[in-house]
Amino acid sequence: MTLADFTIWLRRMAVMTRKEFLQLLRDIVLLAFIVYAFTADVYLAASGVTLQLNHAATVVRDQDHSAASRELLGRFQPPYFRMDGQLASNQQGQQLLDDGHTMLTLTVPPQFEHDMQSGHQTALQMQIDATNSVLGFLASSYAAQIVGSYGLEVSLHQAGLGGGKLDALPIIENRSHVWYNPNQNDAWFMGITELLTVITVFAILLPAAAMVREKERGTVEQLLVSPLSPFQIMFPKVISMTTVILLGSGLSLFAILMPVFDLPTRGSLLLFFSLTGLYVFTTAGLGLFAATLARNLAQVGMLTILILAPMLFLSGAWTPPEAMPTWLRGMMYLSPLHYYIDIAFGILLKGLPLKALWPAISGMLMLGGTVFGFGLYRFRRQFG
Amino acid sequence: MNRHRVLAVAYKEWREIVRDRLFFTLAFVVPALLMLLFGYGLSLDVEDIPFAVVDYDRTAESRDYAYRFIDSRYFDFQGYVQDEHALAHLLSQNTIRAAIIIPEHFGRQLQTGRATSVQTLVDGTFPFRAMTTKGYVTALNAAANQDNIGRLLAQAKGVSLTKARDALQPVKLEVRYLYNQSVKSIWSLAPKLLMVILMISPPFLTALGVVREKESGSIFNIYSATVTRGEFLTGKLAPYVAISSLNVLILWMLTVWLFNVPFKGDFLFFLLASLIYVICTTGIGLLVSVVVQTQVAAMIVTAIVTVIPAVLYSGVLIPIPSLGPTAQGIAHLLPAMYFTNIVVGCFLKGVGWAALWTDVLILAGYAVALFGIGFFMFHKRPNL
Repeated sequence: MTLADFTIWLRRMAVMTRKEFLQLLRDIVLLAFIVYAFTADVYLAASGVTLQLNHAATVVRDQDHSAASRELLGRFQPPYFRMDGQLASNQQGQQLLDDGHTMLTLTVPPQFEHDMQSGHQTALQMQIDATNSVLGFLASSYAAQIVGSYGLEVSLHQAGLGGGKLDALPIIENRSHVWYNPNQNDAWFMGITELLTVITVFAILLPAAAMVREKERGTVEQLLVSPLSPFQIMFPKVISMTTVILLGSGLSLFAILMPVFDLPTRGSLLLFFSLTGLYVFTTAGLGLFAATLARNLAQVGMLTILILAPMLFLSGAWTPPEAMPTWLRGMMYLSPLHYYIDIAFGILLKGLPLKALWPAISGMLMLGGTVFGFGLYRFRRQFG
Repeated sequence: MNRHRVLAVAYKEWREIVRDRLFFTLAFVVPALLMLLFGYGLSLDVEDIPFAVVDYDRTAESRDYAYRFIDSRYFDFQGYVQDEHALAHLLSQNTIRAAIIIPEHFGRQLQTGRATSVQTLVDGTFPFRAMTTKGYVTALNAAANQDNIGRLLAQAKGVSLTKARDALQPVKLEVRYLYNQSVKSIWSLAPKLLMVILMISPPFLTALGVVREKESGSIFNIYSATVTRGEFLTGKLAPYVAISSLNVLILWMLTVWLFNVPFKGDFLFFLLASLIYVICTTGIGLLVSVVVQTQVAAMIVTAIVTVIPAVLYSGVLIPIPSLGPTAQGIAHLLPAMYFTNIVVGCFLKGVGWAALWTDVLILAGYAVALFGIGFFMFHKRPNL
């Protein structure tokens, strides 16, 4: 290729890229929603959701009204529990649970204090609305901790052991240190996860839609009779979309996540944006592949859901990967998002340097390269 | 409204959907596939957490302590590690999610009846997993303490070990899990997935179907035809409501027969409520299609206005009473929450009309409002 050829090649690319940008900028509604997705959407996800047991609505039925029962019930405190008042009867509790107005009921039996003082084992009854299994399980495990430590204190006191000096007992104190997100701030996790989700959605949907639109309108025929190669048709689409998505990610990070939620960015942001660009670029191949299968936008819309949903849900971002069945965990390694998540969390929260990220990067490159190559191959075969 | 014209529009739309074989197939495949994927993959049970142990003590006591974790089904032992420095590397590479560090003199302290401490490191990238992990650690540690103190008490008082342990637990916690006795996460998830999927799929189909005419220009035939806008919208949407209703049945069968979730309520009531919900979500698609001009925008707007509310503000992950006041307000403004009450009520609680009529009524109000707004915003003579 001579220099003149190369100049022409470059100029064609530049013109095509400009065309893609213009097309994108003219769809005001679409543009507005891209901005919405990277800002308000990320904000809502980061601020609205916690998977922790948070102010679980609790009502109690204290049939003993003793110092002991008050002491025990008083230990069910925010942030995990929220006392919503007293019950007059068990039916009332059942009704509140049925209507979903409360999540837990606690019942102290009569003679509670008396039984405890006379050395009889007594019980605190707890009814949990387990329609949400995770929170139901958490509620019972916190309650078990509360009741367990209360019981231990009472019995040690009765046995005359310790006498307040727990040091004089063979007790193991377990000190937990949570790394990377010491306060287990859900906003960081949900915010980053939502950002990665939005990036992935656009990385697949935008190029796919841009491609199919040309097909549907017949403008692709014009492009094909022009002196452009399939690569020159496809590549500018990916460039323009990648640019838009990177700008969106920047907006999300600098306008929402960092100022509003104090997200620490412990690693290099340059590295983060470079690898995000790489991810968007390679994942676009999936969208282009979907575009070669579909004949109209409606088809592409459904096909991308089909590609996106497993990608997002197998990535381990929404659910802990440890909880997945083994065969699904195996499939997870086939999702480029899986590697990108390790990269994004690694850089932003863990502050990992480039050299610690190589396993994830090479995984992403290998998958992304294959996907992109395959998309290009299908496109060439269809239009070349 | 002329019945024949409505039927003619509906028939035309139906033919158009059926003729596009890929789109027609996907209209049924996508919801079912989402159900399968989420149903199998979206487990929130945290088990098999990979962890490592640093044992600076290497005594019988420290090994006993470590074995409590190694034997537990919640943890997946990855081996002993030399020192804390090696742990940092394993944590950053996601090889382990937690670690236990047992200090020197651990065994001697316990033997001489004095308190000691251990450290737990937890990867906090996923706050929900970190919290659950901490919960398991606390529970296992509490069991260790109970055994140690029990032994001491048995010696001091000359009673049997079981008796001493009972004495340390004067209060038992008796937990009853309502509606989902074995706390299966699939029982709590699958019915809500039905809600989520029916929130996403019908608007998608509808919005694409209507905007397609706008983008291809065939809408001008409608503008110039004698059909009124009411007749057009009714006929246009009918096939999508029909497809979505069929999807309700498919999803119901998957939930009950594949995931073995009990259906305790009234089937007819459920069908009627679902039909109203489907009309409601189809109405969302209609509204989107009236606002946007291109199919790309339709896809993205639909994805954003449906997915986030369906997941965050509907009670799928967090029960509504645990949300903050603003989030609760948003939840009450959106239809998803009401249908969550209905599916949970029908499947797990076995309640019907008496408990849920307000929810059904509100959904019906929604459906009317959405169609009303759509009707008034759709003009046969748009300002071009």
